[in-house]
Amino acid sequence: MSEPIVLGIETSCDETAVGIVRGRTLLANVIASSVEEHARFGGVVPEIASRAHLEAMIPTLHQALKDSKLSLKDIDAVAVTGGPGLVGALLVGVGSAAGLALGLNKPIYAVNHLAAHVSVDSLTHSNSLEPTIALLVSGGHSSLLQVDDITGSITKLGETMDDAAGEAFDKIARVMKLGFPGGPAIDKLAKDGSASAIDFPRGLTTSNDWQTRPFDFSFSGLKTAVARYLEATPNYAKADVAASFQEAIVDVLLLKAIAACKQSGISSLVIAGGVAANSRLRAVAQERCEKAGIQLRVPSPGLCTDNGAMVAALGSLMVSAGRTPSPVAFDADSSLPVTTVSL
Amino acid sequence: MTKVLAIDTSTSRTSVAIIEADTILFSGFLAGATAHGPSLPALVQEALAVSGVDEVVVGMGPGPFTGLRVGIAFAQSFALARDIPVRGVCSLDAIAAQINEKDFIVTVDARRKEVYWARYTDGVRVGDPAVNFPTDIVGAPIHADLFPDMQSLVKLPGNITEPIYLRRPDAVATVDR
Repeated sequence: MSEPIVLGIETSCDETAVGIVRGRTLLANVIASSVEEHARFGGVVPEIASRAHLEAMIPTLHQALKDSKLSLKDIDAVAVTGGPGLVGALLVGVGSAAGLALGLNKPIYAVNHLAAHVSVDSLTHSNSLEPTIALLVSGGHSSLLQVDDITGSITKLGETMDDAAGEAFDKIARVMKLGFPGGPAIDKLAKDGSASAIDFPRGLTTSNDWQTRPFDFSFSGLKTAVARYLEATPNYAKADVAASFQEAIVDVLLLKAIAACKQSGISSLVIAGGVAANSRLRAVAQERCEKAGIQLRVPSPGLCTDNGAMVAALGSLMVSAGRTPSPVAFDADSSLPVTTVSL
Repeated sequence: MTKVLAIDTSTSRTSVAIIEADTILFSGFLAGATAHGPSLPALVQEALAVSGVDEVVVGMGPGPFTGLRVGIAFAQSFALARDIPVRGVCSLDAIAAQINEKDFIVTVDARRKEVYWARYTDGVRVGDPAVNFPTDIVGAPIHADLFPDMQSLVKLPGNITEPIYLRRPDAVATVDR
């Protein structure tokens, strides 16, 4: 099976997503999001997300098959996000994927959501991903990884000590009354502001931090600094705050990502996860990686946020690598560590 | 005759059977209120080794949400994959079917010290299922914590297409905080 056709299901948070790939070629990527149902709560409500997943699952599967011009009989393997994520949400995808796999009598690959985010690059670039450093930044995760084999060998170099980068965007957007999710709103507003207007702190970048935890992140101090600034400055310039806050996050993410490349001697960087859709992060990454002689790979914005194509992509790489499928009876793991690529 | 794959995950058990008319070709269950995810595919795999199936009938609850959804999601996708029909029924009715009394109430655990329940007269459900504190449910003998009878489950008429949740999601809008 040189070009396996893999269907991938992703339900770890608020997107019900189904992707289909043939080898490393994307055939379908359908996403039904319940984000609007969560907006008035200022964050994702797990039970609302889980109900929406069940409602959207069959229509999303139908649409993905239609887009790919395939029928379920053409599918060689089913892949599904096994964790990490919201357990009630994950289990809708896992139940569905198990039903498909047993119904079709095909193997199932329960894969790690975070590894899938990194692996989606394989749909864009034909050359091998590994070895690479990966900066994984989303609403739920912020970590620096060394990827020697995306289907089985991932080392965690560091991660956030408190908030995820995307979470910081959401929280600051909420304080500034910009709505949920906060990332796109701040990105847009920041285009009209000055990134150097306010000097917000860069977490864990003292010389001592570089000694003891060079690849960990912290965004809670930044969050507090922005909140204090807003309190102390009645007529603050919204765009400047957005741009300066965004710059503080982008700066520290890239300082540490590039330092990780240099220390490991790996001159390749993948940036993945929802925050990788941020236009400033993409632009500064391009600039700094060029200067440092690092090959940068960032998925197209549509493949950065949660999607089913990334799950299918990792499933396809697992099939091609000859990895053993998951057992029939596996359980979703809401806190699956990134070092466990598949269940 | 039609061979029906029966699935119910509305209780602390995962129940699976294959029924052909009055014959039980396979019947099995696994206990575990948070184990529906791994239990269901394991049981279905075992069942399919015994017989093929032409239709799926699934219990739509009421029952604890996370486990309930595993059964429904699985049933719908399995039916899609096999290109066979899938039908949803009320899980409480499949519990009530095994009780031979004129007037009675069936309850199952709804967590938070509440129970899902329905009342039956002459074997027929009176009104819709509801969720209440056990102390508030009176008027007929109560049968608590039984499990669905899978042979009865597949014989229930109709098709319920939505899960029977009976509770809204817990969430407070930021504007109301």
